[in-house]
Amino acid sequence: MSGREHSARARPSRRGFLTAAGAGALGALTAGTVAGDLLSGATPAAADDALAGAQVPFHGLHQAGIVTPAQDRLLFATFDLTTNDRGDVVRLLQEWTRAARRMTAGAPVGSDNADLDAPPDDTGEAAGLGPASLTVTFGVGGSLFRKDGVDRYGLAARRPAALVDLPEFAGDVVDPARSDGDLAVQACADDPNVCFHAIRNLARIARGTAVLRWSQMGFGRTSSTDATQETPRNLMGFKDGTNNVVAEDTDALRSSVWVGAADDPAWMRDGSYMVVRRIRMLLEVWDRSTLADQQLTIGRTKTAGAPLGARREHDAVDLDATSDGDPVIPVDAHIRLAAPSEAEGARLLRRGYSFTDGIDPVTNQLDAGLFFVAFQRDPRTGFVRVQQNLATDALNEYIRHTGSGVFAIPPGTTPTGFVGETLLA
Amino acid sequence: MKVRLLRALSVATVVVGATTAAVTGTAGTAGALVPAKHTNVKVTIDDDGCPAKLTVPAGPATFKVSNEGDGSVSEFEVLSDGRIIGEVENIAPGLHGSFSLTLKPGAYSTKCPGGSEHETGKLTVTGTADTKLTPSQQSSVDTYRTYLEDQTAQLVTATDAFVAAVKAGNVDLAKQLYAAARIPYERIEPVAETFGDLDPKIDARKGDVPDKEWGGFHKIEQALFVGNTTDGMSDVATELQADVATLANLMGSVELQPAAVANGAVELLNEVSASKITGEEERYSRLDLVDFAANVEGARAAFDAVKPLLTGKNAALASQIGTRFGAVDAALVPYRAGTSYVLYTSLAPSDTKSLSQVIDALAEPLSTVAKHLVKQ
Repeated sequence: MSGREHSARARPSRRGFLTAAGAGALGALTAGTVAGDLLSGATPAAADDALAGAQVPFHGLHQAGIVTPAQDRLLFATFDLTTNDRGDVVRLLQEWTRAARRMTAGAPVGSDNADLDAPPDDTGEAAGLGPASLTVTFGVGGSLFRKDGVDRYGLAARRPAALVDLPEFAGDVVDPARSDGDLAVQACADDPNVCFHAIRNLARIARGTAVLRWSQMGFGRTSSTDATQETPRNLMGFKDGTNNVVAEDTDALRSSVWVGAADDPAWMRDGSYMVVRRIRMLLEVWDRSTLADQQLTIGRTKTAGAPLGARREHDAVDLDATSDGDPVIPVDAHIRLAAPSEAEGARLLRRGYSFTDGIDPVTNQLDAGLFFVAFQRDPRTGFVRVQQNLATDALNEYIRHTGSGVFAIPPGTTPTGFVGETLLA
Repeated sequence: MKVRLLRALSVATVVVGATTAAVTGTAGTAGALVPAKHTNVKVTIDDDGCPAKLTVPAGPATFKVSNEGDGSVSEFEVLSDGRIIGEVENIAPGLHGSFSLTLKPGAYSTKCPGGSEHETGKLTVTGTADTKLTPSQQSSVDTYRTYLEDQTAQLVTATDAFVAAVKAGNVDLAKQLYAAARIPYERIEPVAETFGDLDPKIDARKGDVPDKEWGGFHKIEQALFVGNTTDGMSDVATELQADVATLANLMGSVELQPAAVANGAVELLNEVSASKITGEEERYSRLDLVDFAANVEGARAAFDAVKPLLTGKNAALASQIGTRFGAVDAALVPYRAGTSYVLYTSLAPSDTKSLSQVIDALAEPLSTVAKHLVKQ
């Protein structure tokens, strides 16, 4: 969207996160290169040298893909386990971790990618694209702990209280076929091929153990998780999430995003909770609304993104300001109802994406909107609290929540561990 | 669409020259034990067609085919006595594709459909081939060959009865006998597909071939189950019977290797995924689940034949595949109706979804069997 945003991604991160190889290296990998050469036995380390593109470390205290800079592309998917064997679940998460470790380094999954007598371990479409800032973030849903009353894996007692089933909110038209799942995977990258490749290969690895339940592609980020990133616009044309929790805001991360040392259960420490909502926007209706109506609905100006009554995007939101006795920011404006001050200070780290799934077959209207993704320390005091406030949101006239999910995001892992180890090992 | 059961050993190759062919021997790739005689054959096709003449030593060979034309030619076939024994299709201009097969000494031909100058070419295979199988490999191949012969005999018998009913104008009887003739065919279809034009003649669906060439099972199926008639089907039935007889005669000439048998099992499951689970195959009779079960039975027979070889190399994989065959069988049980299966139209989307999932779960590990079998 802007040069500033671009340079933010290309620069080496302050944490040394990004190992950008020279762009010239990419040029050497022309279309004529035989895929088998790239795929054969390249180790993650070797791939770093050979491939251009930013790399976000897979290992760490926290999983990547939460507070790491939001990439432009998303493919999110959930899976249902088809096994009743806890050992199978462990093996799946170990294999997924291994694959994610390689893919986030720009390396192909598996070890056997050159044998002409076998299907290659890696499906190959991301060869030559580099790490592309890929992050793969794993989560577990409530149904992992108990499904249809059955504790399949002896985990029921370990379900965190914070991993709530969401209540039904005003205006929900949530489709169960686009909701929930035993396991969730968020793949974000600079390149949509890289996202697709990640989910496709994880689904392939899962065959016989877990099946895809639903997926959602996001084509453009609507949030910034880093102070150097410019606030992008959502499909309504507005800057959303200006007051997001960002990486630099360590106090807010500690208080609102990461599960703390004193929180239960211990296996979730340094993890987080992810809420996803597929929010369909009724764009045809929105596009018929006057600019004044649009701005009063959101509570910001459309062009500058400034709070009503202010001039610049990052000016403070003054909810008390009045004009001729009426509030400048209407009582039902989105930014008022979503404000932390209206919800006991609840703050969410939002990491949403614009999506489209083509055309609604019933109405022939655009099936598009916001795939809302938010991370928080506890959904009960986070998303649920805020969403209850939004019952009277003027924005509800233009949106429908059509998919939903809550997932516990375990802490990050080490080069020898696997994601979910604290729960399952 | 067309499947090659006679796929064998292979190694990696590099890219090409002009409208000639270069032949090189190479060492194997990492992890693959490749016989010393393995040959890489680099072939360039263009709008003129195939190279006029190729000479290749006997033994396992990989044909690496590049297309330097503008797109009027996109396919390269190797034929033996008019039968395709290896091919690569849909090579777009500027791209390449490859296939492998084991060649015995002798005269073969090549074909590049659509070529303006050399639609066909000569392929000479020199020397002697070493295609000997070990006793345990031979035992696996013999087991599968016995199955092939048995199914072929059933196909001939059932087709004869079906054809007789069609020619007698007995619509109800023909409808009953239709499924019985389909089952053995669906069990061994990947082998039937190696005989060039025979599979499309016997088994093409409407739209697979030009309408005026369309014949075989599905044309009669349409008449029986949509038109409720046998009118106009007598000649079609006669030709079907003749084609099945030809197929039966050719069956004995098929050369089998354990890896190829294993890949045939995968092809059968791919058939299930691509055209049975979607209800495309039996679109008039709605007997798709009958074909589904027959494909799985055929895959099971092929796997069982090579299982002793696999168990010696990767017992865990053999056991996993056995378990997953069991899961597929269990998933089919609810849809049994007497000795047959319910019609495709009675399946809900949730039914096809779960059937598809168990097939995918089985086919994935099954697709890795062949590589264990090519390594001695």
